[in-house]
Amino acid sequence: MELSCAGLSYKSAPLGVRERLALPAEEQDRLLGRFRERGLEALVLCTCNRAEIYAAGPSAGEALEAAREALCERGGPEARAHLYGHGGEAAMLHLFRVCCSLDSMVLGEAQIFGQVKDAYERAQAAGAAGGELSRACQAAFACAKRARTETGIGRAATSMASAAVDLSRRIFGDLTGRPAMVVGAGEIGELAARHLAQARCKLLIANRTLERAQALAAEVGATARPFEELHALLVSVDLVVCSTASPAPLFTREHVVPAMKARKHRPLLLVDLAVPRDVAPGVHGSAEGVYAYDVDDIRQVIDENVAARAGEAARAEQIVAEEMARYVRARAVRDGVPVLAQLRQRAEQIAKAEAERTLQHLPELSEKQRKSIEAMGMAIVNKLLHQPTAKLRSLDPSGAPSPLAGAAAELFGLEEGPPKAAGGKS
Amino acid sequence: MTYQLQTLALHAYLSAALILLWHLVRPFKRGPPIARILGVTGAVLHGAGLGARLWEQGGEPVGLAQACSSVSLAVVVISLFVELWYRQPVLGAFLLPLGTAVLVPGLMGDSGSVPASIRGPILPLHVSVALLGLAAVAAAAGVALVYLLMERQVKLKHFGILFSRLPPLQVLDELNRRLVVWGFVAISLTVITGAFFVRGSGPGLSWSPKEVATLAAWAMFGALMVARLLAGWRGRRVALLTMAGFGVLLVSFFSAFEPVLRSGGVR
Repeated sequence: MELSCAGLSYKSAPLGVRERLALPAEEQDRLLGRFRERGLEALVLCTCNRAEIYAAGPSAGEALEAAREALCERGGPEARAHLYGHGGEAAMLHLFRVCCSLDSMVLGEAQIFGQVKDAYERAQAAGAAGGELSRACQAAFACAKRARTETGIGRAATSMASAAVDLSRRIFGDLTGRPAMVVGAGEIGELAARHLAQARCKLLIANRTLERAQALAAEVGATARPFEELHALLVSVDLVVCSTASPAPLFTREHVVPAMKARKHRPLLLVDLAVPRDVAPGVHGSAEGVYAYDVDDIRQVIDENVAARAGEAARAEQIVAEEMARYVRARAVRDGVPVLAQLRQRAEQIAKAEAERTLQHLPELSEKQRKSIEAMGMAIVNKLLHQPTAKLRSLDPSGAPSPLAGAAAELFGLEEGPPKAAGGKS
Repeated sequence: MTYQLQTLALHAYLSAALILLWHLVRPFKRGPPIARILGVTGAVLHGAGLGARLWEQGGEPVGLAQACSSVSLAVVVISLFVELWYRQPVLGAFLLPLGTAVLVPGLMGDSGSVPASIRGPILPLHVSVALLGLAAVAAAAGVALVYLLMERQVKLKHFGILFSRLPPLQVLDELNRRLVVWGFVAISLTVITGAFFVRGSGPGLSWSPKEVATLAAWAMFGALMVARLLAGWRGRRVALLTMAGFGVLLVSFFSAFEPVLRSGGVR
């Protein structure tokens, strides 16, 4: 099985294209089902900054093409121009880098790790995550944990949410006591709420499901408000952070301009972390004191942080390279195991058969003597196979698969694939 | 001696301003404290020089140069105070060059004497509050300029050096408000003490360019404060009006020295 990856991200596609590929959960499940029916393993990763499908199949080309087709089907022909594709080890390396947040808009942000984990769990639940994909994900998770523990990439990193809070400080200065509202109580909304609570904002949380807003509000020391009051609250809050899954904008000029009059033009900052956007494009500057920023704007704000963390990122890249090499070696060992098992099975069968034949001519031997002869046969097998086994297990330091497995299979006339059940005649 | 002290102060201000400008472009930890030490040293030398000069004149302020020098000292002191109070050394990169520039004409010599008609115990108070008011409004205009620069970055979404280094918009707006209030109070006192002179000397309001410009500036800043308080004016509009008010006040300032520029002495 070979792993492939097709997708687009904030690096390759503008927000407008990414918006079309913000697949809802049901559609992701439907896609995973389609891959499963085709005999392919798959994982669908949709965040506000990327839409990717990791697929594993007997051929990397077939899996890659299937992933591309699925994305173009939803994103339209325009999306194809922005798609990138990786096959084999390149796909694996990409997954490692994504998990370590080395490919994120905010270098080192923690959300992506949870998002890939969620995507993997969704794939498992849909029955689309087989052995290859599971091994790849587990290795990527281990790599991400190591990068986060051994480097400062996680410690120094700021998420989209904290970058949004930093941006707010450029407008308002100290945020202590500043009335703020988080719209949407999902993962990003929760992070934003935590950052704003840390900054000692006077925080409100609005969510379509009031219970969820109440639960989050209780956690961060905020006040939950009904979603219906959203537009009325624009008059009293200075900062709004949105991260809902709403397909249409929640705030437009028609909502903001009258609110600004009622606010006597006190500055209002809307930070939109949602894709599709929660704040309509025309809101920024629609009245004096209205500032609206979307995820692409946040990306610009955090570019400086990326530069500051370049040193830590270089160390994390080194860990990714080490973990990649380890994964490739382990995979090569897995590839060599069937050959080893078959060789040993064949040799043991021969030793057993020859011992039986010999013992047929020596009926006078005691049971103890018969067992000694059988043990001698197995000892010869073990001694003979010790060196080939060690050679097959020791791989090229670069991690490349050993050519010896294939040579051994050819030399001893072994079949490819897993060994047959023991007891068969050679 | 007074000239040398003020020249030394000019060099100290200039060095501090250059350090803070460099700090704005490429921040370095020691920049603000070094600039602060230079600024304070310069202000002490400047104050000593100016004080000695006034002492020589028997406490009577004379001429445009001394007025410029006094405004410069006040702007520098305001700049140092603002920097310490708001912890925004970057503001010094804008206010200190202003103080330095104003000191340059202050180094030119003055001659002449105060006309007997306006001599009196209230004259030093009138001149002091007038110059303090001008300095406060000059600093407010400097802050307004920084506000407009920052607002431009925020509006155009230019997240470069200025965006990351300039003080937050709200901080600038609040600082502008405070400086305008202090400026307005000083201008009000100037108008009151000035009216006392006029009444004391005869025909009431003479509608000279100086008086008209001063009253216009006073009315502008008064209206600005009322609009801020009642109509919630703030931000860009207020910044522009502050700069306009400063312009009007400058007209008043130079009008006061119009005859001096021709013949010397203060009016």
